[in-house]
Amino acid sequence: MKISVRDVGTAKVVDVDGEVDLGTSPDLRRTLFEALPTVGKLALNLAAIRYIDSSGIATLIEVLKRSQQLKKEFVLFGLSPAVQDVFRLTHVIRVFQVFQTEGEALGAS
Amino acid sequence: MGETPRRMRIKFSVPSDPRYLPVVRGAVGALSATIGWDESECRAIVLAVDEALANVIRHAYHNRTDGLMELECRQIADGLEITLLDNGDAPDRSKICARELGCDQPGGLGTHIIKQVMDKVSYEESPEGNRFVAVKQLRKTT
Repeated sequence: MKISVRDVGTAKVVDVDGEVDLGTSPDLRRTLFEALPTVGKLALNLAAIRYIDSSGIATLIEVLKRSQQLKKEFVLFGLSPAVQDVFRLTHVIRVFQVFQTEGEALGAS
Repeated sequence: MGETPRRMRIKFSVPSDPRYLPVVRGAVGALSATIGWDESECRAIVLAVDEALANVIRHAYHNRTDGLMELECRQIADGLEITLLDNGDAPDRSKICARELGCDQPGGLGTHIIKQVMDKVSYEESPEGNRFVAVKQLRKTT
């Protein structure tokens, strides 16, 4: 799994490429938790995720709850079919703000 | 003439180390596709098997990487049977529960996924260790 973080205006976008599972989700968690306090909005790009398991979903839920405590925005965009399947199975999609594109994710307030 | 058709069977002996999970996922996905599920269903089956292995790593071996997990994926007449054996701590049955749908708590997601995807799921303690068995039918007869 490759993770990169870039600044877009006052927001940060985190791009993830690869598979998020029990072995790799701690790296994603660390990156998101480090980036979250530094910006008003954190957007996670899920377009290149080929696989995500419950530990990955749990990580996203943890980050969302932390964002609410810090009064930050945590949004998702570009859900790949693999991610959509898992969101559907776990019924968590309504918990998150989900957008199709990066522009929509960063434009929403 | 009355012979039982040969069917696929894959056996893995895998250390309880998450680094090996992608290897198993690749094989289970390919097997599921060969049996006849579509891409989305194959992804779901792979996810369920992966969650069962992750549960063993986390709860039976408490994230130790030197445990042993024995996984057998067997094509059966109407689908796929998964058997997973481990020698870690026995599961606490009172804590094997699926999460409530749609809530924002992370716990129990793996068990929820397994029960959503597979048609039959059972846990038992046997002389060989903890045994998890799950069956996915190719066509549901509801």
